[in-house]
Amino acid sequence: MVPASSEATVNLPEGVALHARPAGAFVKTALGFGAKVLVASNGKQADAKSILAVLALGALGGSELRLVADGDDAAAAVDALARCVRNLSE
Amino acid sequence: MVGIVLVSHSLELARGLADLTSQVAGTEVRVEPAGGGPGGTLGTNSDSVREAIARADDGQGVVVLADLGSSILTVRHLLEGRPNGHVRLVDAPFVEGAVAAAVMCAAGQGLEDVARAAESARGASKF
Repeated sequence: MVPASSEATVNLPEGVALHARPAGAFVKTALGFGAKVLVASNGKQADAKSILAVLALGALGGSELRLVADGDDAAAAVDALARCVRNLSE
Repeated sequence: MVGIVLVSHSLELARGLADLTSQVAGTEVRVEPAGGGPGGTLGTNSDSVREAIARADDGQGVVVLADLGSSILTVRHLLEGRPNGHVRLVDAPFVEGAVAAAVMCAAGQGLEDVARAAESARGASKF
């Protein structure tokens, strides 16, 4: 069976960069799923389950994140991460 | 939840790093600083490491990160008497390894995966 794939584009809230606590919340959410999840921002791509890779994206508040997941729970992972991003605060 | 012990020659450094990891990973993670010599001097001693391990351990295992040189030796010597792998010294960069490990702990990952995340921090680019 070909693993399910799911994608979404979501913007970080204005004034909330993907650093420190927001990045931790994002990665903890990703780690709750079996799917492999990539997050891309500003021409760079990171494993959504790696805090150091996510921090290295340097994604600024208001910027666009592209989420791509592969695996049985890919759709749920993308939904949860998109919701997590929209609800992030400093 | 897997716990973390941070061993530094400077207790201030270990405490500061514990604060940073808590900010990123959340305050629910047990991150215990250890180190420093008597009277605020630089150094490490096995008693403070042993106590920090006991505080960090809720039964799921403990990952230990140490800064340099003799703090590594102190931990290795202490763990020689505990060969079961329940407390694991990882060969990892101190800051990046601690942050990577703490997020894994917070997400409920097991000792093996937490240790691997800390050790793989060595290859991570900062930007």
